[in-house]
Amino acid sequence: MTLNDTAHGDVLVVRVEDSRIDAARAPEFKTAMIERIDRGHVRLVLDLSKVDFVDSSGLGAIVSCLKRIGPRGNLAVAGAKGAVAKLFALTRMDRVFPLHASVDDALKSVAG
Amino acid sequence: MPGVVRLSIDSDLNQVEFIARAVRSLCDNLLGREDAEAVELAVVEAMNNIIKHGYRGRRGEAVDVNVTLTRSEVEVEVVDHATPIPERIVKGGEPLAFDFDATDVAGLPEGGMGLTLIRMSMDEVDYVSRPGENRLRMVKRIAAS
Repeated sequence: MTLNDTAHGDVLVVRVEDSRIDAARAPEFKTAMIERIDRGHVRLVLDLSKVDFVDSSGLGAIVSCLKRIGPRGNLAVAGAKGAVAKLFALTRMDRVFPLHASVDDALKSVAG
Repeated sequence: MPGVVRLSIDSDLNQVEFIARAVRSLCDNLLGREDAEAVELAVVEAMNNIIKHGYRGRRGEAVDVNVTLTRSEVEVEVVDHATPIPERIVKGGEPLAFDFDATDVAGLPEGGMGLTLIRMSMDEVDYVSRPGENRLRMVKRIAAS
């Protein structure tokens, strides 16, 4: 699982470079994200523009990141499309993570 | 045109992607993109459940997937020899939609979504458990063009 970090002020944009976040990869993804949160990155944009498949284990890992952040910050999702956007809609997690078309839009929503 | 393709993997989450990609390419010419993606999700969720809950992460067991293609539907049957899905979950009137309080972050579900996603993604789902063998049959109908 390759994650690419870019800092924008106090917001960390994390782009997932793999095409899938599935049950095989979810534990590694979650560990890597929690490590960032525990280093103090509590305003995050998760860029899923390169991801074309997420299963419920991957989605559960994203939810657990939001729980780890808690009231200290926020996590926005950018670039979800196709099957990935559909999973957020089916599970109604799009009410929890509003889906932003671009990283720029997502940055506005998490800026402190 | 009707045909049956039989696939088999070891009970290893790292191998689920191979089945997902194979089933996806079998569906691609028959179903539209959204329906093919729905079948891929259902198959992955079914296999994850078998490996994580049925075999409890134990490798070295077989998970078989039979894909039957006809003019009117794609049928995917997943066969395992693991602990079956508990009857209360299969029959237990599991909701066909996700209902939770989106404002209660601490209470958001992180798991247990697989079976509901399978039912939402496919047109028909049935599960038959016999001693030593479980069969999950999932059907996606091909939209008339």
